[in-house]
Amino acid sequence: MRRLIVLIVVVVSMRANATAQQTAANVPDITGSWERARDNSIPPQPPPPLKPEYLKPYQAKLQALREANARGQPIAERVVMCLPDGMPGMMGGPFPMEVLQSKGQVTIIQEAYTQVRRILLDRPQKAVADVEPGFYGYSVGHWDGGTLMVDTIGIKENATYQNVPHSSEMHIKERISLGANNLLRDEITIEDPAILEKPWTFTYAYRRMPDYQLLEYVCEDNREYADQNGVQKIRIPGSDK
Amino acid sequence: MILHTRTLLALSVFMLVMTAGTALAHHSFAVYDHTQTLKLKGTVTKFQWSNPHAYLDIDVKDAESVKHYTLELTSINMLQRTGWRSNMIKAGDEISAVAAPLLSGQPGGLLLAITFANGETKELPVPAIQTFKRTEQE
Repeated sequence: MRRLIVLIVVVVSMRANATAQQTAANVPDITGSWERARDNSIPPQPPPPLKPEYLKPYQAKLQALREANARGQPIAERVVMCLPDGMPGMMGGPFPMEVLQSKGQVTIIQEAYTQVRRILLDRPQKAVADVEPGFYGYSVGHWDGGTLMVDTIGIKENATYQNVPHSSEMHIKERISLGANNLLRDEITIEDPAILEKPWTFTYAYRRMPDYQLLEYVCEDNREYADQNGVQKIRIPGSDK
Repeated sequence: MILHTRTLLALSVFMLVMTAGTALAHHSFAVYDHTQTLKLKGTVTKFQWSNPHAYLDIDVKDAESVKHYTLELTSINMLQRTGWRSNMIKAGDEISAVAAPLLSGQPGGLLLAITFANGETKELPVPAIQTFKRTEQE
C-alpha cells in the first residue's frame, strides 16, 4: 500500500513537472531592453470611447491644451512636477524600458522617472477596495501560451492617461507577446464601464535594444515649474517675470 | 519638382502631427519661439547635468554690460545616447550657442546647437528640432 502511494505521488509529481516544463517551453524570453517602435502592423490608437458626459469636458480640455500651447503658455503636465506617467502611460515610452522575468514575477522598468511595475504571476486578483491607489497599480498575470495576460487595478484617479478620466474601478488588461517583425506587442484594453461606453483597446510595440542598459533617471532640481495658474514656466536666475 | 514639394509638405505635416503628440505627452517646448533663433557667444557659469532636462547658464558680454542667459537642454539620458558627457562643458568655457528664445522675453532659450571651446559643434537631440526656424545661422 505504501509503495502504491509513493508510486502515485511520483507519477503525479512527474506529470505536474511535465506540465510546468511544457508551459515554461512556451514562455518567450522577453527579458532585456526595449524601445517603442512605430510599425505599420500596429493599428493607430482610436479615440477613447468616453460616455457623452465625460467626452465633452475631455474635448474641452484638449482644446484648452492646444490653445495654451499656441499662446506659448502650455499648461504644466504632471511630469513638470517630477511626477511619473504611471499606468498605462509608462508603457508608451518615449524612453527605453527593461523587462525582467524572474520566478513568479515579470518586472517592467521604464527609464523615464525610473518607473517600476511588478506583474505577479499566477495569483488571484485582489478586490479594488483592498488595493491602495497608486501610479502603477496592482498587477497580476499568467502566461497563456506565448502571451502574458495581465490585469491591473488601483490606479490613482489623478494619474490620468492622455487626459482621459478614469474611475477607481478601472481595469487595465494587457496581452503581451512577441509578434511580427520581432516586435514585442502590448495590446492594452482599458475597461471602465462607469466612464467608457465600451472597452478602449490600443497597442504599443517595441523593438529590442540588444546592447542597451537602462540609465539612471532622477528628476532633480527641475527648473520647470507650474505657476499659480498651472502654466508651465522656467526659473530664470535674476528674472522674476 | 512638384512631387518633391508635395512630398516635403506631406512630411512636414506628418512631423507636426507627430510633434503635437509628443508635446502633449511630455515636457512642452511651446514656451519657445519656433520662428527665430538667437546666436549667443558667452562664458559658461554653470552646466547643470540633470533630469528631466539639463541647463546651461552663460554670461553674454556686450560693450556695456553682461547679460545672463539660461539655456534649456533635453534629458541627460537622451544626451548620453547621442554622445554627450557631463564633463564636456565646465564653468569658464567660452561657447557659442544657437537657441530658440523664450516667448516670454526672459533671457533664456532652448539650446539647439552649441560650439564648444575646442571648436567642435554639436546639434542637440531636441524632438522635432526641424520645426524651429533658424534665423541666426553661422
